Amino acid sequence: MNRSVFVVLPVYNEGRVVASAIAPLLDRGYTAVAVDDGSTDDTWPIIRSLPIHSLRHPVNLGQGAALQTGMTYALEHGAEYIVHFDADGQHRVEDVDVLLEPLRKKEADVVLGSRFLRDEDRRAVPPVRRMLLKGGVIFNGLLTRVWLTDAHNGFRAMTREAAATIGLRENRFAHASEILIQFRRNRLRVVERPTAIIYTDRSQAKGQSSLNAIKIVVDMILRRIFR
Amino acid sequence: MRPVQFILIVLLLFVIYVYFSRLRSGLLDRLIVLLFAAVGIVMTVVPDLTTRIANFVGVGRGVDLFFYLTLLGLAFMCLLLYSKIRDLEATITDLARAVAIKKAKPPSSDTPRVPDNN
Repeated sequence: MNRSVFVVLPVYNEGRVVASAIAPLLDRGYTAVAVDDGSTDDTWPIIRSLPIHSLRHPVNLGQGAALQTGMTYALEHGAEYIVHFDADGQHRVEDVDVLLEPLRKKEADVVLGSRFLRDEDRRAVPPVRRMLLKGGVIFNGLLTRVWLTDAHNGFRAMTREAAATIGLRENRFAHASEILIQFRRNRLRVVERPTAIIYTDRSQAKGQSSLNAIKIVVDMILRRIFR
Repeated sequence: MRPVQFILIVLLLFVIYVYFSRLRSGLLDRLIVLLFAAVGIVMTVVPDLTTRIANFVGVGRGVDLFFYLTLLGLAFMCLLLYSKIRDLEATITDLARAVAIKKAKPPSSDTPRVPDNN
């Protein structure tokens, strides 16, 4: 029954980490779809050798584009549920089922992971990041009119029908706001579930800096002007 | 004719030459470029004319009016280029996506199982 759960992992220059992130997913019987977003290192040979669906963008396009490619592919291959999962090991495999539960009970079309629903998860977020994320929550709420407790978590699950209504055009990080707009426009039922985030040095280092937050805002504003 | 007028006209003619010899463009584009070039040459040859137009709209010197118009034009071009780039990006994304999906490797294709019963 887990085979129709397609876990989409956008990957960029982190092949080795992905290999270890994918093993527990396969143990649980999920179908993994890794989308190499035009990596310049040995990521592609590594994920190609794994027993998963592996795709590769010939050029680097951004995380949003990789997610959309993975979703389109998963829908074409009979996915019943689609999960967005971070390849760098910051999401816990156990939480996939937590996100799927409301979908299986038909109580929601989209389930988003949140670091701000349980005290222990909240405390695990570094204070500076916590403030930045709260700013993101407000920004997203104003922009998308979807009010959540967390921003740019990246851990999402949705039904096949919901995923089919999504078409991300925002290639880079602004896709996280764009997808919320589409959830609302397509009248999907969105709920949040508590998920833990594992902050490794690695995910800290490559995680979104404050500068990225500004870039996202600029991207979104320009997009509003131009379409 | 002052030296600067001569230099400007030569440069302008050179740009026109390059445009017509290197770039293939539609008739309308060529006409617009020709029009702009003609205006440019007239403005160079008769600077007083631009100054009179500038005075008419309330700008002191012809050069200043020209400067303002150039800034506006550049800003407009930036926006135009930006939206062109976005369109291009969307096209590249569609292409890359199609290639990625077409060349996707499913889980088992690397180790094809040979049936045992033969």
